[in-house]
Amino acid sequence: MLGLHGIGYRYAGFARPVIFDIDLDIADGEIVGLVGANEAGKSTLCLVASGLAPGSIRGTLTGSLTIDGVAMAGKPLHEFSTRVGIGFQNPATQLSGVTGSVFEEVALGPMNLGLPARETVERTKAALAMLGIEDLAEREPRRLSGGQGQLVVIASLLAMRPGHLILDEPTAQLDPEGTRLVGEALRGLGASGTALLIAEHRTDLLDGLCSRIIVIDGGRIVQDGPAAATLEDRRLVDWGVDPPSRVRLATALTTQGIDARIALP
Amino acid sequence: MPATPSPYHRLNPLTKVVIATVGSIGAFALGGYAGPLAIIAVTLGLATVAGVVRRLTRASVLLSLPIVISVILVSVFTRAGTTVLFVIGPFDATLEGVDFAAQTVIRLFAISTSIGLFVLTTDPRALVLDLERRGVSPRFAFVAVATIEAVPTLVERAATIGESQRARGLDTEGSLRARLRGLLPIVGPVIITSLTDVEERSLALESRAFSRPGRRHLLWAMPDSAPERVLRWLLLAALVALIAARIAGV
Amino acid sequence: MGFSWGRFDTRTLVLIPIAIAINIVLGQTVSSVLKVPIYLDSIGTVLVGVLAGPIPGLVTGLVTNLLWTYALPAPFHSDFAAPFAPVAAFIGFFAGVAAQWGFMRSRPNTDWGRLAIGVVVVVLVIGGIGFYGFLPFYTDGSFSFFNPDATADPFFTILGYLIGIAIVGAIVGLIGLLVFKRDLGVAYVAIAGLICGVVSAIISAPIAAGVFGGVTGSGTDFLVAAFQQAGADLSTAVLQQGLLSDPIDKTVTFFVVFVLLQALSRRFVARFPQGEKAVGLEEA
Repeated sequence: MLGLHGIGYRYAGFARPVIFDIDLDIADGEIVGLVGANEAGKSTLCLVASGLAPGSIRGTLTGSLTIDGVAMAGKPLHEFSTRVGIGFQNPATQLSGVTGSVFEEVALGPMNLGLPARETVERTKAALAMLGIEDLAEREPRRLSGGQGQLVVIASLLAMRPGHLILDEPTAQLDPEGTRLVGEALRGLGASGTALLIAEHRTDLLDGLCSRIIVIDGGRIVQDGPAAATLEDRRLVDWGVDPPSRVRLATALTTQGIDARIALP
Repeated sequence: MPATPSPYHRLNPLTKVVIATVGSIGAFALGGYAGPLAIIAVTLGLATVAGVVRRLTRASVLLSLPIVISVILVSVFTRAGTTVLFVIGPFDATLEGVDFAAQTVIRLFAISTSIGLFVLTTDPRALVLDLERRGVSPRFAFVAVATIEAVPTLVERAATIGESQRARGLDTEGSLRARLRGLLPIVGPVIITSLTDVEERSLALESRAFSRPGRRHLLWAMPDSAPERVLRWLLLAALVALIAARIAGV
Repeated sequence: MGFSWGRFDTRTLVLIPIAIAINIVLGQTVSSVLKVPIYLDSIGTVLVGVLAGPIPGLVTGLVTNLLWTYALPAPFHSDFAAPFAPVAAFIGFFAGVAAQWGFMRSRPNTDWGRLAIGVVVVVLVIGGIGFYGFLPFYTDGSFSFFNPDATADPFFTILGYLIGIAIVGAIVGLIGLLVFKRDLGVAYVAIAGLICGVVSAIISAPIAAGVFGGVTGSGTDFLVAAFQQAGADLSTAVLQQGLLSDPIDKTVTFFVVFVLLQALSRRFVARFPQGEKAVGLEEA
């Protein structure tokens, strides 16, 4: 259970907070989508929930963050990494650049934890299997495609065995093939028991994947509810969010006078 | 690394770096002709065992060539000395100058071959990981390996940015002035984009427990042996003795 | 905020390899494209010193030269960088200290009075370096360059005048820059670069003379030859050459870093351990 209570955050060197009064609980195994306009606070929320704000980037945090009942204020960053992992948009900067093979790359996190070699190897194999990328194990990380790179990144995070995984726009820099790869992998992850918080512009990706969608606008949570209903909410556009294509299609048909609702297959 | 590593390749990386260091510093400390020549002979011998002697000689000669030319210019023609051999313009060549130049060239070649042998037979990542296993901080290991990877990555990025600038009409061929002016719009973006990467990279590393203090259990170990340990200590002791002797004026 | 020796947090450890790569790639490229006494192989080192502190700067310089020789394969390999590691270490350390003391801050819209003082100080520093650094080697009190005896080869006299013109040109250029940009920071950066260059030359001269017989493989070796021919011994000749090229190189380097700091976003700079102090950020 990852809980944010009364969270507000202000970046270092800036006068005004970017997010306010955030109250959010993510239950074990839940898959939650986070949508909102640019600069609405999605990325900031992700950074706060992962401890990187203020842990790495400093700034001022108000409110409290608890993970599995433990108050995380002031804890060192490596203690966050075993509870919540965070992935970002660009696979190239998330791959460490110091490993010669995908296997080493995924093993890097567990090794940093000081785990014995056998445990590291076990965790690495399990993480690769979870994402179905065992065949990439001997490849050089530098030479992977964008989509493959993101899968390796997610595997690397999962090797830390966090209870929660945050992904900030994982497909933003990927081509359609890469987006498809990552989308499929995320669907497969649903069964693994790791809670997911996925911030995305591409609501199509979240459609059918998430059980719950949170909308953030102007730094506050303006909607938090079941995925289907939230994605069909007419106010999405006002909040700066593109509805999924099936909803846009249905809306377009409706304005033509054809009453339509399109469900997912 | 070659498909079938030679016995020299298979030595522990620390041994190979000790050999290179003792060879290069020793060449400097010994001075004269006999010492550096002996070091060159030993190094080329080891290179033959390793199967890299031709590559080593070619690389060392190529690398040393510009410096050798400068040495000749600086030392032969202008070293204050007594026996003048010949004169060109305002510069005169002396016997002392030729002697000094010859010694310097041989010493430089000894240094170049010693280090070159190490570079050609050792994967630097193997050395860094071996050092970490012996107790060097994982943070230093990271910096060393990351640097080795960062250099080619930077060059690739410069090439990419160069391409896109050329597509926008930047002229990079031609006279020196043109090339210089063509260099600037590439250097700036290359540096700035490399630096902005730093933020994303450090955040990603934090999620992999990078800042956790303490040692790690590595998945690999380089083989080491007792004879190699003895050899390393002997070589280092010899080097220290040599330096002490030189300081004492022997 | 008091003085800090610097911190090795994650961000610094990620910056250092990139800074080292910038050092090596730029240093290799510039020295092969241009045959002038500007190496530009310390930009990364100065940057780390400024953003992370003196000790990280020192480490960056040291590791740059060591890896350049021991760990990098061709074409970025240099057999001759490692002995100069102490010089590189000093540059990083000095840059860190200078940044802690505010020498890398931009001071825009300075009034003319303080600009004038800045001009005077810069002229004094360059003049001082010229007077105490160059002239004693060349004259015995009168302006007969290079050779105190009257048998001055016209070649050397011309060389001497060229060097004199270069010094004057540098002064004029810096004054112009100060006036044009109305940023007193220019004066501070220039002084930091010049002092760094002078001390680097003094440290590297014995290394170059002792290990390499006085050569660096670049066009300035010609100057070393000239100085020796005029009667100086090797160590002095190397020092003279260094005092000509190093201040120029280091001043250009410090200016490049100064411009870079302005170009990088404040958010980026502020997240480094010494970033705010170096650039003089106030809370926005």
